[in-house]
Amino acid sequence: MVWLFLAIPLAVELAWVFWPAANSFSLAFTRWNGIGAAEPVGTQNFVDLASDPIFRTALTNNVIWVVGFGGLSVLGGLALAVALNKPGRGIGLYRSAIYLPMVVSMAVTGLFWRVMYQPGGPISAGLDVLGLGSLERQWLADPDLALYAVLVAGIWRQVGYIMVLYLAGLKGCDASLEEAASVDGASSWQTFWHVVMPQLKGVNMVVFAVTVIDSLRTFDLVWAMTRGGPFNSTQLLSTYMFEQAFTAGNLGYASAIAVVIFVLAIGFIITYLARQARAED
Amino acid sequence: MTTSLSRRGLLGAGAGLGAAGLLSSCVGSGGGGDAGGDASSGGGGPLVFQNSIQDTAPKAALEQIVAGYEREVTMNSVATEQFRAQLTNYLRASDPPDVISWYAGSVARAYAAEGLLLDVSDLWTGDGACAGFSEALRELSTAEDGKQIFVPTNYYWWSVFYKRSAFEKWGVEPPSTWDEFLALCENLSGQGVIPLANGIGPTPWMASGWFDYLDLRINGPEYHLALLAGEHSFTDPEVVDVMEQYERLIPYFDPNMASYDAQQAATPLAQDEAGMYLVGAFVSQYLPEDQRDDLDFFSVPVINDAVPTAEEAPTDGFFAASGTDDPEGTKAFLSYLASPEQQEAFITGAGSSNLPTSPEVDPSQFSPLVQKGLELLNSTERITQFFNRDSSDALQTTADAALTKFLSDPSQRDSVLQEWQAAAERVHGS
Repeated sequence: MVWLFLAIPLAVELAWVFWPAANSFSLAFTRWNGIGAAEPVGTQNFVDLASDPIFRTALTNNVIWVVGFGGLSVLGGLALAVALNKPGRGIGLYRSAIYLPMVVSMAVTGLFWRVMYQPGGPISAGLDVLGLGSLERQWLADPDLALYAVLVAGIWRQVGYIMVLYLAGLKGCDASLEEAASVDGASSWQTFWHVVMPQLKGVNMVVFAVTVIDSLRTFDLVWAMTRGGPFNSTQLLSTYMFEQAFTAGNLGYASAIAVVIFVLAIGFIITYLARQARAED
Repeated sequence: MTTSLSRRGLLGAGAGLGAAGLLSSCVGSGGGGDAGGDASSGGGGPLVFQNSIQDTAPKAALEQIVAGYEREVTMNSVATEQFRAQLTNYLRASDPPDVISWYAGSVARAYAAEGLLLDVSDLWTGDGACAGFSEALRELSTAEDGKQIFVPTNYYWWSVFYKRSAFEKWGVEPPSTWDEFLALCENLSGQGVIPLANGIGPTPWMASGWFDYLDLRINGPEYHLALLAGEHSFTDPEVVDVMEQYERLIPYFDPNMASYDAQQAATPLAQDEAGMYLVGAFVSQYLPEDQRDDLDFFSVPVINDAVPTAEEAPTDGFFAASGTDDPEGTKAFLSYLASPEQQEAFITGAGSSNLPTSPEVDPSQFSPLVQKGLELLNSTERITQFFNRDSSDALQTTADAALTKFLSDPSQRDSVLQEWQAAAERVHGS
């Protein structure tokens, strides 16, 4: 009976996840426009990727994105979790307020921030009121700023999620250990770093995996805010893959980009898991 | 009993799916496949019509037209972006939808070259529904092998739009030469008005509007279409000439154009903060209803009088899958859609500024703006469409990157053109 219940999700998973994924790998070695038969080209797609300036921009942007989005949302989320992990008046309100952006979809977040960044929009108007009008920019139209402008929106949304994960982790920490540390005269920083952090190891692993996967698959936010523009300066691997597949119709080339994304994600995760496993031995 | 049955059913379905996945060959290996998944039945069953028109009023108008057809037609409306991505699958499906709404031009020709489109030449001869359409439209609907594969039902035009009341207020007149046009820009600029509205942020393809027109006016339609087909290089001196004129316009554009989309860009025009806007006739929908009668336009003035006149007129309509079970019924439905009565019903129902392709539609009932647009297209020597429709969506993305980069920093012109050519070669090569 157990096998029967397992067989159904397995069949579904095979048909809708593994089979398409395997196809994507085989397509990566072909040239296919979606019409006609795919023409095998060996590793030509990957050779082309290496010399494609837009792919290089996308890869660089993805690195900036993983570091910025991952790093800042984890730091922010952890700081907020520690700050809000104590009973107090209206603490629930703060927590919900910070978590609230997570409730809206990425596409809506993107549209919301597009309005914020608009010329004459709230951000520019706010700077005007503060007498900082000279700092006003066309945030999403400036190739040097656009990626960071989108990053801010991404972090704004992600930080609440990370906070909730850490809050749950902190709830599981043993309070008597912290008391013992303070009796021994440890500073609050030492207590946090040497007593609390080791207990958060499990949560850290979840947060790491979630963050890497979320940052590599970020698509909707960029698509809603800039579509990879101005002139490809905010292109991520995922948006470039979409553009190649569904605008340009180069499904083989797009599959090669998908393979790169997959290798990056799996590489990050496996390295981390391996290190964790070694540390536990 | 019922539970065990449904469980067995579920299991069967799961096993079936797995088997289907394992048995079907790799997706890229060609062959039919049932990618579309639209159930159309042969002979007497309903026709299947796959529709990409999503704007509320035009869609409602089309629904009404379809409902009025003598035979039952199943109409599936799909969001345009998704439609674009799925179109190939629709056409390649073993049981494809019969009639599909899309664009005329290079995209339709590419499908025709793959043998995916139904030959509708009968409709273009004798007393066929399209027989009386203009030569320009016939040429546009003809595949490389000389057969007609498209049924155009309406089109719209691009021009420089302005508000009559605003021009009166500023004491200016529509220009008739290129020098007058530049002087007008200078004049408006001096009055504190933004001469040229544009929105190339979320809609970077708007930057191609001026590129197309400058190329048409300087190098002519023959050169322009050959350039888009990959027969000339974007680093040619001809293209450099175009960019030089484009550069002269840069100071006159809305300084916020890189943040606006096509629709937001019309706001300064509506508020009399911007003077003119090179855009499609769909701009009338962007203005408040009480300003639409105030809207007027002039064609981009002649720059080089040695080349034939040309206007951009993107053409919409329908084609049919060659794999349809019922070619006769499909053609009958296409004839119905192309008939003057239904064209008229669509344009009035949609409340748009689109023009009918049938010369039998009486234009006197349309707004003066639409009548003037019709006159413009009837008097021009050549009709082109728009950058993406005259080339491909893939080439459009290269134009978007190149032109928006050029507009933000024209001093990089030569390197931008080289990058553009390199990107275009990748598109033509794939």
